[in-house]
Amino acid sequence: MRTDELIGRLSSGLEPVKRGQVTRMLLVAAAIGLVGSVVVMLGMMGLRHDFAAAMVSFGMWTKLVYTFAIALFGFWLVERMGRPGAEMTRPLQLLAVPLLAILLLAALQMSAPQADMPKLVLGHSSRVCAYLVTVTALPTLAAIFWTLRQLAPTRLALAGAGAGLFAGAVGAFVYSFHCTEGAAPFIAIWYTLGIAVVTALGAALGPRLLRW
Amino acid sequence: MIAQEAQYRDWMLAALMGDAGAYRMLLSGLTRHLRSYFARRLDVGAAEDAVQETLIAIHARRATYDPALPFTAWVYGIARYKLIDEFRRTKRRPTVPLEDAGDLFGHDDTAEAIAKRDVTKLLDKLPPAKRALVKDIKLDGVSVAEAAQRTGLSESAVKVTVHRAIKSLGEELKEEGGGDANR
Repeated sequence: MRTDELIGRLSSGLEPVKRGQVTRMLLVAAAIGLVGSVVVMLGMMGLRHDFAAAMVSFGMWTKLVYTFAIALFGFWLVERMGRPGAEMTRPLQLLAVPLLAILLLAALQMSAPQADMPKLVLGHSSRVCAYLVTVTALPTLAAIFWTLRQLAPTRLALAGAGAGLFAGAVGAFVYSFHCTEGAAPFIAIWYTLGIAVVTALGAALGPRLLRW
Repeated sequence: MIAQEAQYRDWMLAALMGDAGAYRMLLSGLTRHLRSYFARRLDVGAAEDAVQETLIAIHARRATYDPALPFTAWVYGIARYKLIDEFRRTKRRPTVPLEDAGDLFGHDDTAEAIAKRDVTKLLDKLPPAKRALVKDIKLDGVSVAEAAQRTGLSESAVKVTVHRAIKSLGEELKEEGGGDANR
């Protein structure tokens, strides 16, 4: 086809684009991914036995706020990644806030006079934590990848990493409802490791799966 | 700031609201830059394909343009992605230097089109037989031996004919140039 014919074809019957379409598409993907991650957590791991009591514990809220904050900035990052020529310095800078906060809280808890170091750092599930976070994150990672392909990511490894960061944070958030740990040092190490693993996975898969 | 930014962005915003006329002007304008951009980096056939692929991508992914950001940077991002994609497919060069949108919008295909038009116009002044020979050998890269075979002339006759034709065109140009200067 000649190029001017193509232009004629593309411009005839042009549909208007609704504002905020990219954000809406990603929100739908995040919602679908979240449902998938919840199903994986409930099906493979189960809700923690002391669920009702945990919902008023400090440890539970530490996990929820930490992972939610990372998911929030991760979502923003993904939204930027899907647009050619967009800057992503702001969400990257803001990611430092939850990281610094959890490190500060961890340091605080470890410096308490009667601190039980092995319990604070290793808990009883440090061996499986990052692995289970990763598994829980997979449905969300798939949903975000699926949608990101329909946008226009131009740096695929980076976009994959952003999707992995968001999915990892969602996975960790959902996993919080299974895991009975609540110590800030444990969260700072093992939850963060789980999110980092999913980020690396996303970066590795991005160049292959995000092409358009 | 890229010179075309304001105009193209206006057209894009109108196109996002559904204005087909603005969209057509936008795509036509962009095509001239894209053609030059890809022609400087790809073979002739691949270049026009890349132009079309980029136009289709711009169309299919136009929702990813954020009006708060420069439009030219958005287009450049897509064009560069398509260029890298083409290199990857043909397994040629793994990296493309990260330039900026100025590299895309600093050029268009006007100069090339004018040059081509001028040469064609000039060739028209030759008698048909000579014109065909000059076009074959000087523009289309046909070998002298092949041209000789095609026309039934000897190789040296072909060479002489082409040489004379070029010389006469040169004189023609000089006269034209002089005429312009005296005007």
